[in-house]
Amino acid sequence: MENNVLISVKDLSKSFGELEVLKSVSIDIKAGEKVVIIGASGSGKSTLLRCLNCLEDPTGGEIIFENENIADPHVDINIHRQKMGMVFQQFNLFNNKTVLENITLAPVMVRMQKLRRQKHLALFGKAEKPTETKAQILAEEQEKAMALLARIGLAEKAEAYPSTLSGGQKQRIAIVRALAMNPKVMLFDEPTSALDPEMVGEVLDLMKELANEGMTMAIVTHEMGFAREVADRIIFMDGGVIAEEGTPEALFGNPKNVRLQAFLAKVL
Amino acid sequence: MEQLWTRFSKAFLVQNRWKMYFEGLGNTLLIALIAALIGITIGVVMAMVNYINKKTGKLKIATKICNFYITVVRGTPVVLQLMILYFVVFAFWDNGIMIGAITFGLNSGAYVAEIARAGFESVDDGQMEAGRSLGLSTWQTMRTIIIPQAVRNCLPSLFNEFIMLVKETSIVGYVGIYDLGKIPGLIQSRTFDYLFPLLIAAVLYLVVVLALTRVLHMIEKRMAKSDRNAGGATNGK
Ligand SMILES: Nc1ncnc2c1ncn2[C@@H]1O[C@H](COP(=O)(O)OP(=O)(O)OP(=O)(O)O)[C@@H](O)[C@H]1O
Ligand SMILES: [Mg+2]
Repeated sequence: MENNVLISVKDLSKSFGELEVLKSVSIDIKAGEKVVIIGASGSGKSTLLRCLNCLEDPTGGEIIFENENIADPHVDINIHRQKMGMVFQQFNLFNNKTVLENITLAPVMVRMQKLRRQKHLALFGKAEKPTETKAQILAEEQEKAMALLARIGLAEKAEAYPSTLSGGQKQRIAIVRALAMNPKVMLFDEPTSALDPEMVGEVLDLMKELANEGMTMAIVTHEMGFAREVADRIIFMDGGVIAEEGTPEALFGNPKNVRLQAFLAKVL
Repeated sequence: MEQLWTRFSKAFLVQNRWKMYFEGLGNTLLIALIAALIGITIGVVMAMVNYINKKTGKLKIATKICNFYITVVRGTPVVLQLMILYFVVFAFWDNGIMIGAITFGLNSGAYVAEIARAGFESVDDGQMEAGRSLGLSTWQTMRTIIIPQAVRNCLPSLFNEFIMLVKETSIVGYVGIYDLGKIPGLIQSRTFDYLFPLLIAAVLYLVVVLALTRVLHMIEKRMAKSDRNAGGATNGK
């Protein structure tokens, strides 16, 4: 069923000046699917992932998300990004905010923005008067954030600042910060690469939980064991193109592309 | 000895002249404070324009205007700027203190822009990306995440700019504004003795600047401490 496709990438290309980093990449990501992207350094994995929510503006091609081509500079990308969570290698928690504020900031701002817009429309009789208040929104989002923190066992860190946390704690908070927006898809760019080895497990465990709950996920990672366990499909990037793709069994068990064979020989 | 005492007394005590110094000092601080507020606002806004231009490529024309402003203000003497504003632009207005404050505010803005630019540069790029990835607009992310961190990172330099202003504004006497720097001349015109009025004004400046410098050190210490414990807002790497 075509309907099942959540993100459809068609002939995506991206150049930084003269450097052509992505060359006509096409993939469909189905709702609930877990796609793991692997490849050598510089092959364009991060760029592909960052194009999916237009953190990098594609130079060509289409990205269809919820029936809209979000690569088109005329669409309001912020609305779409609210439904696409992203997790970075360097965590990128907001340094000037507490853990709780990190999680509630975006949902509260987005809901407040909608509230103000509705109030404005109501003033001209074009919409119902909003029944929500700022205090309600704040209380709701805080409750939701606390539930998320409890889920990862970090409720007691709600008032702490990011600089006091371990890498593993930061990354798990970054993941629930993205979840607080109720995204339809989660994008992970090497979420465990900046972690001390003993903290990799806790982050991967949380990701596995999400996967089991049916979250749609696109993950760039060098954790091949994790990829084998979680991925529905693995994509091998090489020189800005998808050189091979398939199930973990096919890709790891019977790689056809010679570059993939060489890559696997190095990492496995 | 006796003679020195009389000279001091004439410069400070007779006819309650000491009041004039403190009124002058009050005006000096007022001008410096308003100027600092104007300067910080202008400087931070200009640095912000520059930052957005660098990160998104937008605001090209605004960036050019800012750079032009900085070049002109830094490339001309502040005394001339003061005279232009006092005798030409605000010729209709008799509030010298405000004109002095505005002049120094506009002037200081061009210098604060450089300070604030460094403050913005010290904010990790990932902060903006994280805000944008959550669906916040550039401006929403600037307002809640980037600006607070940038300002915090250059708070000591901004306070230092205020201290500089306390001293530098002493030239507003040129256009007849009664700040602390103007008082010795006023008193000398009555007593025909410059030495003590100048010494007294100098001591007052020194005391104020030293006191403010201590405040600056306290701010620096507190920030270093909070960087070590909680709330560190420097580069998140
Ligand atoms: N903002 C940028 N400006 C210029 N070149 C860039 C930029 N971002 C990435 N590149 C270049 O694009 C190419 C692909 O980068 P990308 O980050 O997508 O690779 P990657 O597969 O994620 O590698 P790694 O495993 O090292 O993270 C590299 O040659 C990189 O130098
Ligand atoms: Mg990468």
